[in-house]
Amino acid sequence: MAEAAPAARAGARAVRAALEAHGVALVPSVPDTWIGWLMEELRRSPTLRVVDVAREEEAVAIACGAALCGARAAVVVQNAGLLNCGAVIASLVQLYRIPCFFLVSYRGDERDPVYYHVPKGAATEPTLTAWGVRYARAAGPARIGEQIGRALAWTEAARAPFALLFSAEDLA
Amino acid sequence: MSVPRRAWLDALVAALDPARDLLVAGLGANARYLPHLGVRAPAFALCDAMGAAIPLALGMALVRPDRRVIALEGDGALLMNLGTLATVAAARATNLVALLFENRTYESSGGQALPAVEVDFAGVARAARCPVAARLDRPAELAAALAHAAGRGPALFVLPTAYDPREPIPPYSERPEEIRVNFARALAESTR
Repeated sequence: MAEAAPAARAGARAVRAALEAHGVALVPSVPDTWIGWLMEELRRSPTLRVVDVAREEEAVAIACGAALCGARAAVVVQNAGLLNCGAVIASLVQLYRIPCFFLVSYRGDERDPVYYHVPKGAATEPTLTAWGVRYARAAGPARIGEQIGRALAWTEAARAPFALLFSAEDLA
Repeated sequence: MSVPRRAWLDALVAALDPARDLLVAGLGANARYLPHLGVRAPAFALCDAMGAAIPLALGMALVRPDRRVIALEGDGALLMNLGTLATVAAARATNLVALLFENRTYESSGGQALPAVEVDFAGVARAARCPVAARLDRPAELAAALAHAAGRGPALFVLPTAYDPREPIPPYSERPEEIRVNFARALAESTR
């Protein structure tokens, strides 16, 4: 059974506002429950183009194609999907030094003790570290917009990937 | 009947409009030939990231609707990422064309055979609701096919390509950062 959506979605609205304010054009995404809540908000935007993709590696390639043409994108995937992306991060994002920003629903950490999410939750941060991908945990609805702005600036300054890991409570 | 890769590439280069077209080559022979073909359109070549050429081209096509984006991909690479045909069809990128070089071989890794089944890639593209999908027989058909696809895509054209293990494919001649920077420069110059 699907989780109940949060009644308030200040965090989701803050994400949308930040992506719009920072000129993000494309949001390639594969859904999960939390991303579904977020996407309801992002699809209302007149400036963000959500691109529904079949597989997470495609989302990364789409974001890179946009970046190569001078546009900004945000890859929105679950951590399961992020874990699929090691090869494309290494062989496209890092090899060509293309800025790439990820918004990742962080299933299975201590805020989400669901038994079938826990193994990938445990693997997420060590894997990102092993891949050399910088990341941060979202710090709640009041701060997530500011964190997005900083992350986008960092990806472009560093020409590198950055993952902002969010939980359900960051969207509430 | 299969056609030498170089004949397809020469026909493609002759059909390009540098002010309109952007090229993305998947890893392998197409990417290695590209710097040697006198391509005047901005071109981005993958050295790795197998299967990424078509979605990468989709990202370009969506943010540059004023340009036609042509992805050169291999059949083995597309098999790794067949779902991307549904993604591009759903995105309705009318300015995206994928050229699929079909030689049923993992050419870059030594000529190993693909899984032993004859995949109808044009049929798969049609089933994924790509509006234009066809198999071409001869390089002379390519220019007309590209013209037909203009504004009607996403399109996929299957190009039956001969595998010749003795073909003298040039090595990669540009480093990845060079490829990125040259693409950006060419894109800026062609946009002026």
